[in-house]
Amino acid sequence: MNVGFIGLGLMGRPMALHLAAAGHALHLWARRAASLAPFKDVGACTHASAAAVAQHADVVFTMVADAADVEAVCLGADGIVAGARPGCIVVDMSTINPNAARAIGVRLAERGIDFLDAPVSGGEIGAINAALTIMVGGKPEVFERIRPLFEKLGKSVTLIGGSGAGQVAKACNQILTGVGVAAVAEAFNFAAKSGVDPARVREALLGGFAYSRILENHGSRMLDRNFKPGFKAWMHQKDLRIVMEEAHRLGLMLPAAAATAQLFNAIVGAGMGEEDSVAALKLLEKISSPE
Amino acid sequence: MNIGFIGFGTMGRPMAEHLQRAGHTLHVWSRRPGVADFLLAQGAVRCESPAAVARASEIVCTNVTASTDVATLAAAMRDSLARDAIHVDFSTIAPSAARDIAARHAERGVHFVDAPVSGGGVGARNATLAIMWGGAPLLAPRLEPLFRVLGQTVVHVGAAGAGQVAKACNQMVMVSAIAACAEAARLAQASGVDFGKVREAMLGGSAGSRVLDVFGGRMVRRDFAAGVEARLHHKDFALLLDEAARLGAPLAVAAQVGQLLNALMGRGWGGSDTARLLEVLES
Repeated sequence: MNVGFIGLGLMGRPMALHLAAAGHALHLWARRAASLAPFKDVGACTHASAAAVAQHADVVFTMVADAADVEAVCLGADGIVAGARPGCIVVDMSTINPNAARAIGVRLAERGIDFLDAPVSGGEIGAINAALTIMVGGKPEVFERIRPLFEKLGKSVTLIGGSGAGQVAKACNQILTGVGVAAVAEAFNFAAKSGVDPARVREALLGGFAYSRILENHGSRMLDRNFKPGFKAWMHQKDLRIVMEEAHRLGLMLPAAAATAQLFNAIVGAGMGEEDSVAALKLLEKISSPE
Repeated sequence: MNIGFIGFGTMGRPMAEHLQRAGHTLHVWSRRPGVADFLLAQGAVRCESPAAVARASEIVCTNVTASTDVATLAAAMRDSLARDAIHVDFSTIAPSAARDIAARHAERGVHFVDAPVSGGGVGARNATLAIMWGGAPLLAPRLEPLFRVLGQTVVHVGAAGAGQVAKACNQMVMVSAIAACAEAARLAQASGVDFGKVREAMLGGSAGSRVLDVFGGRMVRRDFAAGVEARLHHKDFALLLDEAARLGAPLAVAAQVGQLLNALMGRGWGGSDTARLLEVLES
């Protein structure tokens, strides 16, 4: 299949390489030419614009920073709509606001282009190991056509519902992981300030109802004081902003997510945005310690 | 003075009327026909567009709802405003939006002043508003006389956008206090104690505040017909929490109050007074 890919960052690059390795012909455009270097040896065609990529592709994947970028790449003057043939499929794997995703889907549909929102969980390591969790929103028949490609990128591929539903699932994922990381950090800080070894607490808790993968993995990194990303705190902050925007729009009370969003504001404000989300522990330790 | 005025809601109507009574000639335009007619009878001039308002006025006032409304009006008027004219915006919008408009106006030699107000419809009618403005200090001699017609407390807070920062702080403190009153009322009620008496006692002590007086009073009377529509506070909280996220400043209390406002909106009570937070806690 002719596959376009736009957004060759930490996540996008390994994902595009997996698709090339599976035998698909890659069509690429990048804002920065340097992003194209890793694709010299896989026979990828590079193009001068997103429109040119779309002209040559049956499906175009996008993996960019935010809703404004997705909109620009899809609907901008030199964007996908300017080149795509009717029947082309756009698959956006970025994490953006569900409502924005729905709106982009509607505008693409007006031009005869199908749209799937397919955000992922699993981070850079998941992308490199083709072990991502992929949450998809869109029409079932379009999903079925793309499913074989998704399966080259991830281990868990789920059609959640109609357009925007993938982004809703991702927002739920970020509520659970954000609040989960905050809870583990609070528990460890509570244990330590009570004079108890958090490592022993973790070990005991892993066997009980408080078990979670976050307690296991993130908890272990907190104990090792390993704050290297992983998943950068500023990205978690960004994703929680999306959650809180939607809560505001829907008139929904999300008190735990709201508290967690503020914790992430503090982490970013304290200059730890480039560290892993587990830096939440450092912030909690500092904020209630004497000078 | 020839003053342009756009935006005739609960706040804008009485404010425009005060300016007219003070002897100024108003040039008005409204999206919906008819809403400014009450001014025409007293000598105001009807204009066909925001640009026409801008051409006729040395100071233009806008008083609308959202950042995008102000930005749209600003863009429509920019090329028609004289050099050294002042665009005064009384709306509550994002500080960053205000700064952006100020920068674009400045390229054309036009001044922008963000001058959000506090005091509600009653303050606007009685000309007792608190006006917090941001913009070039050298504009003070031209603006202060107008502001004095509209309000009692007039403070120049700082450069463009500073007025909106002050308003965000104002909303945060006020609505958080309303939520605290609602929680106190709920605790009193759940304990079988008359909140009317509790409020009376508190008003004389360290917890006494205007919010306890006004909004606490509404809670005691269970009068939730709007004073200030809760949906406007809800809108303001989105702005200020968004700024906090942009700045990396944690606002733990405001974030929770924002969630209570979300719940109130979800109930369908956006048109009620924010004192109705009490009913959210009762449910």
